Amino acid sequence: MLKPILLVEDNPHDLELTLVALERSQLANDVIVLRDGAEALDYLQRSGPFAGRVDGNPAVMLLDLKLPKVDGLEVLKTVREDPELRSIPVVMLTSSREEPDLKRAYELGVNAYVVKPVEFKDFVAAISDLGIFWAVLNEPPPGSLRLARRHGGSASDDDT
Amino acid sequence: MATVEDPAALAHAIANCANEPIHIPESIQPHGFLFVLDEPGLRVVRASANTREWLGIEATTLIGRPLTELIDDPALASRLESLEEGDPNPFHLSDVRLTTGHDASTTFALMGHRYKGRLIVEFERAVDPSQAYDTLYPLMRTFVLHLQQASGLESLCALAVREVKRITGFGRVKAYRFDDEGNGTVLAEEADAGYPSYLGLCFPASDIPPQARRLYRDNLVRVIPDATYRPAPLLPAAPDRPLDLSFASLRSVSPVHLQYMRNMGTLASMSISIVIGDRLWGLISCHHAQPRVVSYHTRTACELLGRMLALQIEAKESHALAQRKLVLRQQLVHLLSAMADRDSVVEGFMCLQDVVLNFASADGAAIVSGEQCECAGSTPPSEAILALTRWLGEHSDQVAFQTDNLGRDLPQLPQLTEQAAGILAISISRLHPHYLIWFRQERVKSIRWAGKPEKLVDADSGALSPRHSFDSWQQTVRGHSRPWEPVEVECALELRNAVLGIVLRKAEEMAQLAGELKESNQELEAFSYSVSHDLRAPLRHIAGYAELLADLEGGKLSERGLRFLDNIGDAARFAGTLVDNLLSFSQMGRSALRLSDVNLAALVESIHREMAPDYEGRAIEWRLHPMPIVVADAAFIHLALRNLIANAIKYTRGRTPATIEIGAEERTDEVIVYVRDNGVGFNMKYSGKLFGVFQRLHRMEEFEGTGIGLASVRRIVERHDGRVWAESEPDKGATFFFSLPKTPYSASQH
Repeated sequence: MLKPILLVEDNPHDLELTLVALERSQLANDVIVLRDGAEALDYLQRSGPFAGRVDGNPAVMLLDLKLPKVDGLEVLKTVREDPELRSIPVVMLTSSREEPDLKRAYELGVNAYVVKPVEFKDFVAAISDLGIFWAVLNEPPPGSLRLARRHGGSASDDDT
Repeated sequence: MATVEDPAALAHAIANCANEPIHIPESIQPHGFLFVLDEPGLRVVRASANTREWLGIEATTLIGRPLTELIDDPALASRLESLEEGDPNPFHLSDVRLTTGHDASTTFALMGHRYKGRLIVEFERAVDPSQAYDTLYPLMRTFVLHLQQASGLESLCALAVREVKRITGFGRVKAYRFDDEGNGTVLAEEADAGYPSYLGLCFPASDIPPQARRLYRDNLVRVIPDATYRPAPLLPAAPDRPLDLSFASLRSVSPVHLQYMRNMGTLASMSISIVIGDRLWGLISCHHAQPRVVSYHTRTACELLGRMLALQIEAKESHALAQRKLVLRQQLVHLLSAMADRDSVVEGFMCLQDVVLNFASADGAAIVSGEQCECAGSTPPSEAILALTRWLGEHSDQVAFQTDNLGRDLPQLPQLTEQAAGILAISISRLHPHYLIWFRQERVKSIRWAGKPEKLVDADSGALSPRHSFDSWQQTVRGHSRPWEPVEVECALELRNAVLGIVLRKAEEMAQLAGELKESNQELEAFSYSVSHDLRAPLRHIAGYAELLADLEGGKLSERGLRFLDNIGDAARFAGTLVDNLLSFSQMGRSALRLSDVNLAALVESIHREMAPDYEGRAIEWRLHPMPIVVADAAFIHLALRNLIANAIKYTRGRTPATIEIGAEERTDEVIVYVRDNGVGFNMKYSGKLFGVFQRLHRMEEFEGTGIGLASVRRIVERHDGRVWAESEPDKGATFFFSLPKTPYSASQH
């Protein structure tokens, strides 16, 4: 069973377009959608409505920067401070080209930071590359479950 | 007399002279006699020994006798009692005859005064009292009339001298004025034939020791009728409790002074002090070759005359001072308004150089702020002035520093003295080295001393021996400027305070502006942030859904419908670019410059390579000239050059071949970079719009663009304190220039 991709996005249009992009990248992973930072943390920490979910971390978390309740940077911070969650690859998705956010995200240990391109083709390409790299190609830290399947294709660690 | 010129002995003797207790000589001049009385009995406590000559009575036999017994005047006791300690000047009580003694027919003028608790009575030979009414008063009246008409100081003094000579009949009367050091210059003189003239000559300060000056200041008239007199001691001797004779008209004077008089060839003298406030301004000094008695009435008239003269001089001086102040104030106001108008103290200062120089009657002036030095008129070189301000910063905590002799007061800065002898430096700020400095050039002064001003010491006694020659002796004094008048220093300080006010006000305004700027910058940042997030998202959605629609449902649409869908996508993408460009444009104004060495040639080469996809398939002739290395923000300059080169590529579209020439010209203080093309160009009448945000000179379908590129170039270059401009003609290509100054960009790095 492949580990799922976690998509944390509040904007319904962005959500729909991202899902289309993920669909077009033909990844086999399940995509779990969470609509704000608090929900994301509940899922990750298996609390609240997710108290009973099956054990295990996602393959990658696509995290929007601006989120209701708990924003993306806070989620990232919590993830990096939690020994259980620390190794989850986190890709920050944002509309912002503002430097302070980017700087802060890298300080908090983000794996990649993507400014969503306006052009839809570019957006699809970016999401596809990210999914392939982080959900498929990336070597997990020693001791974690080794991925069984590998795909060819272009990869990038940072598509700003 | 054997004399030596040993400087140490001389200094010692002068100090001794200054220590001589001339107010308690314990003796009097013998042209009258003196009693000290006790109270209330009015018994004689002490008497001068010369009662023997005047009355034929030994002074010692008078001790203990009441005055009322010696003089038959019942009113005398109450008159003596009415003498007040507050006015210690001798007061003429009455003309009396003594009931004892060998000469009962002589009338004496009796004068009494009370000083330091002692009642002192002096007797002089009386004169006809009608003299006062018949001669003195009319003379005084004319004098007062003339005094009011006299214009200058010299004519005032001349008038007084003439009047005194007329009243007293002395052979030579002169008036002199003391300078700050106490040297007295003769301003007016009236002399009979045979008397040497001293007009214009200078008597050295050491001629009158300090304690003598004090006496002159307190007691306005002093008479020596005969310099060969033998002093009459006061009896009985009282070395433990000497009598203070400061105000006694018979006080015996210093033997040094008598010697001085004899050396001058005058046996009688009188001096009338000119006292202004409590300052001894000058003296009217009278001399006569032969002994000469001056009556009490004449002395009183002279004293009055001296007081009137002093008042008149004071009025003249304060009038002149007020005039000078008025002029200085007008200049001060003029200067301040210029500084306020120009919004800069330095500029205001420099545009009114004449006023600045006139203000302090200076030959040169400088305004120093930090290491910047602006000069006007004749000044030492800037480097020397900066050395001066550094010295002042370290050694002077005074707001005003002044000297009229730089060589004497600042020997460690010899580089100043070539161009100046006097300076007045006003420190504007205690924290920063900001100074206003005025310079005065050397004024070679020649002083004609009344005799060589060195005194000699008597080799035998070690006492001071007054000089024998009063022949004038010329001395040239170098290294001095005209001294700075107190009123000039005072007004310079006023200027300083006003300047400080201007500076402070400006600083406050700047602080307020900076605060407002910071606030609006923060607002702008917040605004950019939300534009970045919130404007890009819907544009992305429009573009995304338009494309999805075309993908999924494109087959059902007409060709026209598909074109519309394309346009929707194009418009959204263009708007996205616009938002991105605007954001980076606003960042250019806000983010700090990161200065480093920038190799312009390498930069151009890399832009040329990275833009290759944009001109693929086009015939472009590139002319890349050698370019210098500049100090600038590499990323910003890259962006500026990239914009200019992209424009050149864009606007040469349709030219075959297109030529694009890039080069730089190095000048002394700046580097000028240009990008030239042979494209469509523009009409120079629109050149003013060229660098504005959203300004476009072409229709969209001719040449695409957001209208931000050149505005970004301008902003980048201006952040570097440089300029941008362009030259073109329609259809003849265009050249875009920008300059980068070689000095680092101090003001705009934040």
